[in-house]
Amino acid sequence: MAKEVSNLEQFKDGVLGNNPVLVQLLGMCPTLAVTNSLENALVMGMAATFVVVMSNLITSTLRNLIKPHVRILIFTLTIATFVTIADLTLKAYIFEVSKKLGAFVPLIIVNCMIICRAEVVAIKKGVAKSLADAFGIGIGFTLALSILGVVREILGSGTLMNRQVLPDAFLDGHTWVIMVLPPGAFLTLGVVVGVVNHVRARGAKGGAA
Amino acid sequence: MKKFVDESWLVLVMGVVFACLLAGTQTSLEARILENQARALNEAIAEVVPVVDTMETLTVDGNTVYKCLDKEGNLAGWAVDAVGTGFVDKIRLVAGLSPDGSRVTGIKVIEDLETPGLGNKIEGEWADQYKGLDASRKIEAIKGEANRDNNEVQAITGATYSSTYVTDIVNDVIERVRPMLEEHR
Repeated sequence: MAKEVSNLEQFKDGVLGNNPVLVQLLGMCPTLAVTNSLENALVMGMAATFVVVMSNLITSTLRNLIKPHVRILIFTLTIATFVTIADLTLKAYIFEVSKKLGAFVPLIIVNCMIICRAEVVAIKKGVAKSLADAFGIGIGFTLALSILGVVREILGSGTLMNRQVLPDAFLDGHTWVIMVLPPGAFLTLGVVVGVVNHVRARGAKGGAA
Repeated sequence: MKKFVDESWLVLVMGVVFACLLAGTQTSLEARILENQARALNEAIAEVVPVVDTMETLTVDGNTVYKCLDKEGNLAGWAVDAVGTGFVDKIRLVAGLSPDGSRVTGIKVIEDLETPGLGNKIEGEWADQYKGLDASRKIEAIKGEANRDNNEVQAITGATYSSTYVTDIVNDVIERVRPMLEEHR
């Protein structure tokens, strides 16, 4: 990224070209742990998006005041504050989902994807670009989690957003329980990352990317 | 000293600002969060005790017990809040007892992190098996067909541990609370 990129390109880069989960392979812990249903994946994605947006906003606003050797401390402080706010908000407004996500909402604090955005973009770039980047990364993260959530919920529970989508014959003892369990997360992620790499490799060969 | 202030003033200021922000959020949302938790508990109690109009909260041998009364103020049953070891993390459940303490009127798991798709079936219909079991004897979770006359429940296939842990929690809390109910009647 030697040349200045536009805000729109920065946003698109986060969603597709540099998707945090599928390309950078960052933030694997929530990716594997909470994608057993689409609902969980969406809520986790939105909570992480909120945190990365606030973290990038504050870091880029204060970027000229932050002393280099205390920057990590400031990132962590900012992220921890907004994660706590997100956690309390989920507990207050969507109690059932927040119970299912359990410890993984507070664990957004240690999601390296978020601190990575502060370090790579927000500390150097202006507010507008940092926000574009944060929304791109946040939506890219949500998108990747949702893909996993859709696959795992349909195959593992026969439902989507808690509504039955597969016939009774499948639900009656033929659901792939493994898809709901941790191995299902690894299997699905492996296949999805494989497909993404395949597509990227073909794109590179054709000179399109 | 000047160097110290120069380098750290921003961290100090941000610490104070963020602390105020968190305090504000906590204060404004706390009531709602507590209300959510209370609602989850009340719904569970309503499931395990057939009629609940009003409740009195008691502490019996370290356990919270809800004495449930019907509209006329007669004793309708007891709901006991119990926590114990689960397969993944602690399981919290509410067990209902008939007014004389002789029968289990139901159990409802309210907090657990059991394996999705297997162990977490303890949250659902599976728990209905406990309805009507004898509270004076130990309940047993067995593999295969359960005989209700022997106070047995059928363990979930693939989640024998989760089923056994729930049964242990129920047995343990009933054993400790039941003898004390008489004096609270």
